[in-house]
Order: sequence, then C-alpha cells, then structure tokens
Amino acid sequence: MAIDGLIVLDSANARPIVQTSFRSFPPAYPLLHINAYSSAVAKAVRPEDVDPVLLVTLPDEPTACCHLQHRSLTFLCPISGDLDPLYAFTFIRTFLNILIEYFGEVTAPVLRDNFDIVHQLLEETLDAGGHPLTTAPNALRDIVLPPSLISKILSVTGVTGPSGPSTNNLSAFSSPIPWRKAGLRYNHNDIYFDIVETLDAVVNKNGTIITSSVLGKVDVNCKLSGTPDLLLTLTNSHTISEPSFHPCVRLNRFAQSKALSFVPPDGRFTLMEYRFDPSASKPGAAPALTAAAAAQLQVQVPFTLRASLSITDHGGAFELSFTPRAGALEDVAVELYLGSGATGATCTCRKWWQRVDVRARAAHAALVPRALRLRNPRCHPFRLRAGYGARRCGARSRAGMRTRAPRARRRYRSRCLQGALLSALKIDQLKLSGETYKPYKGVRGRALGRVEWRVEWKGG
Amino acid sequence: MNVFSRAAPKKGENFELRADLNSEYRDKRKDAIKKVIANMTVGKDVSGLFPDVLKNMQTEDIEQKKLVYLYLINYAKTQPDLVILAVNTFVKDSDDHNPLIRALAIRTMGCIRVEKIIDYIAGPLQKSLHDENPYVRKTAALCVAKLYDLKPELVLENGFLEQLHEMISDSNPMVVANTITALADIHTSATSQPSTSSSDPAVFTVTPTILNKLLIALNECSEWGRVAILSALARYEAQDEKESEHICERVVPQFQHVNGSVVLGAVRVIMIHMRKVKREDFNKQLIRKMAPPLVTLLSSPPEVQWIALRNINLLLQKRSDILSNEMRVFFCKYNDPLYVKVEKLDIMVRLANEHNVDALLSELKEYASEVDVDFVRRSIKAIGQAAVKIEAGAERCVNVLLDLIATRVSYVVQEAVVVMKDIFRRYPMTYEGVIPTLCANLEELDEPEAKASLIWIIGEYANKIDNADELLNIFVETFTEESYSVQLQTLTAVVKLFLFKPDTSQGLVQRILNTATKDCDSPDVRDRAYIYWRLLSTDPGAAKSVVLAHRPPISLPRTTVAPALLNELIGEVSSLASVYQKPAATFIGQGRVGAEAMQRRGADLADSAKTALQTVAAGQASENLLDFDDEPAAEQPTGLAATQVLQQPAAKNLLSGTSTNPLDDLVSIFGSSSLSPSVPLAAPAGGAAALDPFHGFGGVVSPISPAAPAQPASASNQQEDLLGLF
Repeated sequence: MAIDGLIVLDSANARPIVQTSFRSFPPAYPLLHINAYSSAVAKAVRPEDVDPVLLVTLPDEPTACCHLQHRSLTFLCPISGDLDPLYAFTFIRTFLNILIEYFGEVTAPVLRDNFDIVHQLLEETLDAGGHPLTTAPNALRDIVLPPSLISKILSVTGVTGPSGPSTNNLSAFSSPIPWRKAGLRYNHNDIYFDIVETLDAVVNKNGTIITSSVLGKVDVNCKLSGTPDLLLTLTNSHTISEPSFHPCVRLNRFAQSKALSFVPPDGRFTLMEYRFDPSASKPGAAPALTAAAAAQLQVQVPFTLRASLSITDHGGAFELSFTPRAGALEDVAVELYLGSGATGATCTCRKWWQRVDVRARAAHAALVPRALRLRNPRCHPFRLRAGYGARRCGARSRAGMRTRAPRARRRYRSRCLQGALLSALKIDQLKLSGETYKPYKGVRGRALGRVEWRVEWKGG
Repeated sequence: MNVFSRAAPKKGENFELRADLNSEYRDKRKDAIKKVIANMTVGKDVSGLFPDVLKNMQTEDIEQKKLVYLYLINYAKTQPDLVILAVNTFVKDSDDHNPLIRALAIRTMGCIRVEKIIDYIAGPLQKSLHDENPYVRKTAALCVAKLYDLKPELVLENGFLEQLHEMISDSNPMVVANTITALADIHTSATSQPSTSSSDPAVFTVTPTILNKLLIALNECSEWGRVAILSALARYEAQDEKESEHICERVVPQFQHVNGSVVLGAVRVIMIHMRKVKREDFNKQLIRKMAPPLVTLLSSPPEVQWIALRNINLLLQKRSDILSNEMRVFFCKYNDPLYVKVEKLDIMVRLANEHNVDALLSELKEYASEVDVDFVRRSIKAIGQAAVKIEAGAERCVNVLLDLIATRVSYVVQEAVVVMKDIFRRYPMTYEGVIPTLCANLEELDEPEAKASLIWIIGEYANKIDNADELLNIFVETFTEESYSVQLQTLTAVVKLFLFKPDTSQGLVQRILNTATKDCDSPDVRDRAYIYWRLLSTDPGAAKSVVLAHRPPISLPRTTVAPALLNELIGEVSSLASVYQKPAATFIGQGRVGAEAMQRRGADLADSAKTALQTVAAGQASENLLDFDDEPAAEQPTGLAATQVLQQPAAKNLLSGTSTNPLDDLVSIFGSSSLSPSVPLAAPAGGAAALDPFHGFGGVVSPISPAAPAQPASASNQQEDLLGLF
C-alpha cells in the first residue's frame, strides 16, 4: 500500500544512476520495472506517448510502474497495492524539486558526482516502508547539507570544517510548524512576491478564441527572521477563482475574508495558484457561468497571427505575419511543425526577427523564428518568409505506391512574455505580526502567453 | 582479456579502501566510506569490507554515520552475524542527545531485516515512542509498522499497538499522520492473512473519537499526512447522515490544496460519504465545489492530467452533472501526448449534449485534419459516437463526415465510412442521400473494416441503390482474396440484394454461394453460405424474414462499467483501481479472492440475464425477445469495458470464467443453434455463459460496439446478425 521505491535512470542508456534499496523485495524487482519501462518505450512510436502508469506483471503479484521524464533523466516509481498513482507522481515531482533546489541543474553527471547527497536525500524523503517523510526543503536542509563551495574547498584542502549540521541541529524538528524551522535570523528582512500569469489559449483560423484560461501563480522568496505571522490582502481579489494554497495558508481565514494569513516557510515557495476569472470583475455577470467558459469571452490574446503555406512537389514555403496588440511584448517565439519528412528550412525575414532557429530532423521538423525583445512599440506586423524542403513519404497500397508531401500541422504554437498582469491583481497590504521588525517588500508581475493558433492552408 | 585485467585492480581497490577505512585520519576514513558507498551503488561487491566499515560507525559526524548506516542496511542480509556487532552502537545512538541521531538509529534498526537485531529493538523503540521530540516519535511510529511486518508477536507482546492508538491524540499533527499511516499499514498486512478475524487487535477501525482527532489533524499536517488521513476517513463508516455531512464539510477545504493527490483523496472521501446524505441540494453543492479543483488538475503536467482525466471519466459516469458546462476545458492541445488526447475525446463525447454539439463538432473536425493518424481516427470515431448519442445533432455530424470524406485523405475516408455504418444503424432510412458519396470512394478503401462497412451499407440499402449489383459485383470478383470480415459482409449483402431484387441478381447470388461454399477456407464463411443456401432453397419467405428483419437501433452506453462495479470504483477514486477502471483485486495481489468477489458482485446482473434466458426457453415470440433488450441491455451495457483499458490476460480470464475467448463461445453457440430450427432448445445449454454480461463480452474492446449486448436478445431470428459480429 505504498511507494515501493524510486529509481533514477539515465535516459540515454536506461541504466539506473541511483535507486532505493528495495529491501523487502526480491533482487530482480527493480530490474523488472526498468525492463518493463524500456520495452514500453521501445514499442511506442514516440517516447512521450507511453502511458504514464505501466502495469508490470510479476509472477505472483502484479504491480504498476509510474514514470516521469525530466531532461536526460527518467524517474521510475514502482507501486504495489491499490495506491493513488498521483501520490507517486507528486512524490517524484517533490523529489525532483528538492534535487533542483540542491543542485540547480539536475543531470546524470551531477547526480553521479553528488551521489552521497542524493542517497541521503532519498533516505530522508522516502521511508523504507514507502511513505514520504520529510519533503519540506527547509527541514531537509538541516539534515542533509547542500553542496557548497566551502565544503568543496575544505574537502580539497583537507582541512576539517565544522562537523556538519550536528552542531546546530538540536533545534531541528522542534519547531511546531513543519514547514518552518525555529530560530531563524537575517540581517535584512526581505520578502519578495513574484506573480506569474500564464495564458493558455487556442485561437481558430478566424482569430476568435476557442478556449482560453489564465492560470496565476504567486511565488515567494521569504527571508524573514523569527516566526512572522503575515496577513496579505489583495486588491481585485474577486477576479481570482479556484485558488489552491501552500499548506501554510489558513484556509478558513481565506474563506471568510479573502485575505491570506500564514506563517511563511523560509526561502522560496509557491504561496498560491489561482485561475483568473474575468467575468467576476463585471458586476451583474451571470454567476452560473463557470470560470473557464467565461474567460474565453474576455481575455484578449496579445497579438494576431496571419499565415499562409504553399506546398510544392519537393517542399513548401510559408509566410507569417505577426502583429502584437499591446506594445509591451518582450519575448516572442513562434513554432511550426512541418511534418515528418521535412528536411530543412531557410528563412528570409525583416530585421526584427533577431534570431531564427531552424531545427530539422527527419522525424520531426519545427521552425522557430524567435525575436528577442521586440523593440518596436507600435503595432507593426512582423513578417517572415521561409521555404523548406521535404522528402516525400510513400505508403504502399494495393493501388500501387502513393506518395504525398509531408503534411504540415495546421497550428502554430507561440509563446510570448508581457510585463503586465492580465488579471490586474495587486498586493494591497502586507501586515506582519508576531515580530517587531519592518520587512522590505518587493512585488513583480508578468504574464506568459502560450497560444495555439490554427490556420487553414489553402490547398494543403 | 579484459575480464582478468579488470578483476585485478578491483581487488586492489578494495584493498586500498580497507587501508583507508582503518586510517588514523578522519577525512581519509570519511572519503573511503563515500567511495565504498559509490561502489555499492554501481553494483560492485564491497561486502568484504563489512568489519572495516563497521568500525567507523561510532562517530560524531552525522553525515558519516548516515553513510555507514546506509551500508549496514544494504549488507545486513548477507552478513547477519556481523550486524550483531553494530547493535551496541544502535542502542547507544538511540539514547543520544541529538534527536536526529536517535531517530536515525530507530529508523535504521527498523530497516535491517535481520532476526537477531529485531530482538534488541523493543527497548529503544519503547523509549522512542515516548520521546519528547516529535521527529523521533513520528519515526518510531512508522518503525512499529515495519516491526509488525517482520514479527507481529513482538509488537503485540510489547503493547506497541496500544501505544500507537494512544498516539493518535498526540499534540503534533505530523505524529498523528504517521501513526495513522502505521496503523493502516498494520491493518493491511494483518487483513492480508486469511486467518485474521475482525476482533484481531491489529485491525484498525476508525471510531467516532478517532474521527474527530483525524479531522483536526487533517488541516495541519503535511501533504503526505493528509493523504494518509483522507484514506483513513474513506474507510470510516459514518453513524448517521448528520455525521456524513459533517465529514464532507470538513474535507471540502482540502480541494484547495496544491497537491493533486490530496485533492483526489478528498474527492474520494466525499464521494463515499455523500452516498449516505439524502439531501439533494447538499449533494449538488458538493458536486459544484468538486468541479473547479478537477479542472485545475488539467493544467498540470501530462501524467497528472491523465490520472485526473481517468478519474473524471469515472466520476462523470456516476454524476453526469459534475462538469456539464466545462466541455471546452477538455479541448485538446496539439502537444498533448496521445494518451491525454484519447481520454479528452472520451470525456468530450460524454459531456456532449444538444447545446454544445456544434462546438464539439467544429473541434473534432479540426482534429480530423491533424497529422497524427491515430488521433485523427479516434476523432472521427468520436464524431460517430456524438451522432449516435445526440439525435438532434446527427445531421450535422453527417455533414461533417461528408466534409471529411471530401478531403480524400485515405485514412480519413476509411474511418468516416466505418463511422457512417454506425450512424446508418442508429438512424435507419434517414441518410440514404449520402450513399452515392460513399460509393464514389469505393476505390479508396483498402482496410477490411472500412470495406466491410461499406458493403454492409450497400446490402442494407440494396433496394434503393440502382447499381447495387454492379458495386457488389466488384467485391464478388475478388471474393477469395478478401479478408474474412469482408467476405462475410459480401455474402450477406448479396443475399440481401437477392431478396430485394430476385430477378436481376440471381446469377450473382448463385456465384457467391458457390464460391463461398467451395473455395473458401474459413469455416464461418462456408457455414454461413450453407445456411443462406438452405434458407433460400427451402423457403425464400422465411429467408426474407430472417435476413431482412428489423434490427433494434444501437445506442451509446452511458457507462463503461457495470453499475455495481462503478459504485465500488467510485469508492476508490484516486487509486490505481479507478485509473484502470477495474476492481483492485483483479490486478493487485489476492487475485483469486478478487475473482470470487467479482462474481458475487456480478451475480445480480447474472440474475437478470437468467430471467431473460427463461423467457427464451419458454419459447416466447420473437417480438418479446426484442423487447427484452430494451430493459436489461440498457442497464447492463457493461462488462465489456471492464477490460477496455488494459487487456490484461489475468483479468480477462477472471472475467470470462473458464473460456479463453468469450467471443468464440458466442459465435460457436449461435453457429450451432442456427442450424437447428429452434433456438430455445440450444440456448439454455450453452447460452448461460453467453448471456451473462461478465462472461459474454469480456473480449469486446471497441467502444463503438455497444450493439453487442443487444444481439443475443434477437438471437432467435437474426442469426446473420450474430454471425456478423463486427
């Protein structure tokens, strides 16, 4: 009835880098799971299409294997018993975040170099019985020392440093609040709020939005001494809906007054996630409309896209014109999948497209014109013209060989960044109680757009 | 060559490590331990260094201690005698002033699965359970569960169970959560022993007092603790309606937790306790609150989305009102993995109604122009399902399909033809106008399923199509080269044509019956040809009433699993069972017990099938038989989806009883009965298995085959339909 263990694989050769010791299982157990995973990947057309939960049938007891890909690493989590697979996935994500927190970039060589720390982390986060233990990064930092420059220098020079955390960890876990350790001290008491909103939209060929949603996230970097009790009030808080909170937020308090009252964890954490509901800002809007249904009427996509494509016998050409609606767009990327068999692309473009990436492989070809920081604030269209070659792919059929040019996807995917929040959410006030100092507060907001733009190819 | 050259330095490496482990310098020793652990992780055998590593156990450096413990845990199994040497240090460490070391010692002792160590653990564990530090207490709680797994007597003798029960009232919520986890673990391992009675002390029942403590701890402990508490709450049997309401109210705030696992756990608790609540408005309110967090899960990484979608799919079958306004949320993004897209399509069809069918269709049409072939086919199937489901939207669906056929992309056309067949079955005599368009694409078709579908349509409307004989002639020409499904359909279609137009197609029917009985190697095709031949030669009137009989229209099943099973699965929302949409017992341990329980659960359904059988045996007129499928079939369109997701052989065998392939049974039964004039005689003999919903349709996979349950009903006079099971 629990997670059986965790295996970190190097995706390149499907060999384990680190794994828990699977004490109460036969020795072949982890190998069977690794094998099941690699054969599933080998069978799939695209590795990302493998079902995330694989049923692994062992002679006496069938189990399941949850797997997750992170860059060049694969995390396998065998589970047995009737467990929530989501439990395994959230554990993997949590563990991954801890690794990122400890090492920054998480790759196979990094894990190999720091195997002792990774091992200790595994021991601390996952109990041998399969129950996650300490996963709050704050508490972990007390038990497992993160790699630091000093400890590296010390180990190279051979000087014995202070013997690790044993000197000051008497206080560890004595704190009544699981996510915050007691007795923190900072010279400067700072707290920073980072509000990021992500617009996810699908636009059809006429330029009307089919579906869109705006998800917001409040990330906090907290460096406050002692045990501060914060009360955060928001303006426009009526526009947010479906919030989900870090466990430190008192849910009842939010339900009463829409204010966030919490004792923050130390360091970086995600305070809140929410959905922006534009219909709520209009008085008298029908409340029966659900957030997602209403959002699509209101949120504007910050640009328009026009495109055309012509396919010839040996490739094709397309034209693209991109018009920002608001001037504040900062980073724009447009991507088009040209179909399997597309071989290469060349672009001619005006100067505003500062960088054009063309990635073309036999199996997958995508064209990514990318403009870093569009300097022109006025709403000029940016044009791009490109051509590409294509290998015709044939399909054998009774009527003889049929060939056709690779079909380009009729969708552009684009990302953009904007300096202002879509929901106009603002932090109104931050009250601190329980401590005497006055903290420095910083707030930043930005919006990210991920828009899928459908187009119609004439004759395509 | 390199075997030897590599083996030699390895020996030397261990030798050097041993020297370092015994070095007088602390750093050198620590580095050596690290190297030993590194070798251990890559699978080199360093067990020979056991005594040397053990010497380094007594140290102030906690990091070093941890590494040594790690080594101990790994090799304790192979060196049980040497581990005894470590016991003293363990016992000493469990008295250390540092809580981290105390907890570490207890945890490690619990992990070392060596008989000799276990006897020493009782004392330290006793102390740790009452430790002043919550971290030690919560570690010790889990240790009790591990101990129970190895040596239950020891736990019972030392009264650890009672202590755990006391610890539920601990002031620290994390300790409470771990205690609950430990008790639940002990409960599972105790109940997995067949001899356990309900009075066994290890059986953990949640009492009202415990309930209150759980509800308090729920809001304060970590995410993992919350999951444990929620699953304990799911097991609780509420005393009355009021208590159920109370639990629901207290659990609802958990919907706002960031961790999706907590959210699904909360959904599960509420679905379970909602059953007891009679107030419909209260339930409605709960359902309304359930929708937003489920939708939020859909903006997570794909694997989380998939699990959420599987669970939503299940919840929708129970409460179709959960997400009724939210269909747009399920529109596919083009970079979604295939498994997410497939689930989204399924849910979109489930949510489709007269009001949103337009939006659905334009979206599905968009998908059908995608580049991913598999996804395109499924989208077109979804259009067909929408047409079958929503009568008002059927015409628009047909128009969309015609547009798609006009693209002349081979796989699109073929799939559209297959789907059209289902629409023709659902709405007979409504869309004859599109037949010329379909027939115009005759040459495009090269897949058996598409061909068979088109031939079926031609046969069905042979009296309306002027050149039906020409069209069928094309297929008769190549009859022996075609696959069996196409052959069967061609045969039936030609016979239908003959019954409609006896004068013009006499030659054709002669030819095909000749070819089918003489040159065909499939027994199915041959037998069917003989049946037709006899029918036609003895009594063309009877043949007409058999072959051209009225067919009950097909419908889309509202649920994909049996109602009894659905209820059980709802109780396991968020677990593996709900993701696979099969009862847990069929794929996790205790498979045999599960099969029996499964059959017991299926018994009520089997009963309805039995009554149906008796009707057949009583020799009722065929009209009555047709009525029959309206009632039971509407409620039991069922068992087929129990195996829909994963065709796991074990589960399949469980579901289908003794036979390996239920469809074979079905066909063979009716194959034999069709030769004798009276079905009622043949059916009770073997039909019991065939009509039992769990046995009969275990093998039917395609979601579009809801027609299958309807067919046995019309058995007595529609042999051709049965034999022609697609």
